[in-house]
Amino acid sequence: MEKKQINLLVALQDLDMMIEEISEMKRLGFNTEREDELLKARHDLSAKIKKPLLFSYEKLKKRYKRAIVPVKEDNTCLGCFIKLPTSLSSIGRTDSEVIYCEGCGRILYWLT
Amino acid sequence: MNNEELTNYFDEQLFLPDLMATSKDELFVELVDQFVKVKYLKNRDIVLEMLRQRENLGSTGIGKNVAIPHGRTTSAQDIMIAFGKSRQGIEYDAIDNKPVHLIFMIIAPPQDQSNMYLPILGKMVEILNKAKNRNKLLEAETYSEFIEIISRG
Ligand SMILES: [Zn+2]
Repeated sequence: MEKKQINLLVALQDLDMMIEEISEMKRLGFNTEREDELLKARHDLSAKIKKPLLFSYEKLKKRYKRAIVPVKEDNTCLGCFIKLPTSLSSIGRTDSEVIYCEGCGRILYWLT
Repeated sequence: MNNEELTNYFDEQLFLPDLMATSKDELFVELVDQFVKVKYLKNRDIVLEMLRQRENLGSTGIGKNVAIPHGRTTSAQDIMIAFGKSRQGIEYDAIDNKPVHLIFMIIAPPQDQSNMYLPILGKMVEILNKAKNRNKLLEAETYSEFIEIISRG
């Protein structure tokens, strides 16, 4: 259940990063004419995410450029580089619940 | 970003000189699966979704038989570039409607400390705009030949 929500949130952040960089992409010579499609996709995707989770994502986005960050293999948060407790990582790896960094408050995402 | 620096973002395991894919979708799957196989990426489906969304914004087929699919994803930890070559050509909806033979897939993490993503993309576009480089790349058979072309750009 939560795994699906986390993955939707990751997809949403991936989309947001793309939207932020549209003007740079255009400058590099890429075709970005269908910007509306991306905004529509963002709208549809955010509708699938539970309100409290979406709300905390949007709130974190105001504070940080990236609201959800990967956790490195050595258990550090890639947002603030704090070392996370191993117990947290074992829960995090199962994607059974949404976990926030104790140091910076960002949502954590385990890559391995 | 100079050519030597750029070579650091390639890996022999992400060098696919003879792609099987015949469509854009098959191509993305073939390349992303290779990233997963060599453990640069974990979540295949999220990365595929990101790349498809990127194509919805506008084709990354930049013309002259070249495509540079790219994007940032929370599923990546480092910037890596895969290179693939298709002998038969892939239908890609490129800006000049020509099939694509040379593909550079650039996957970047949400944040990179040195902010290399955009300079790398810019450098790739610059190298691939030169006909001489494209022709050499079409002929390159080995990874060392390939890296030689990139480093001389
Ligand atoms: Zn943190």
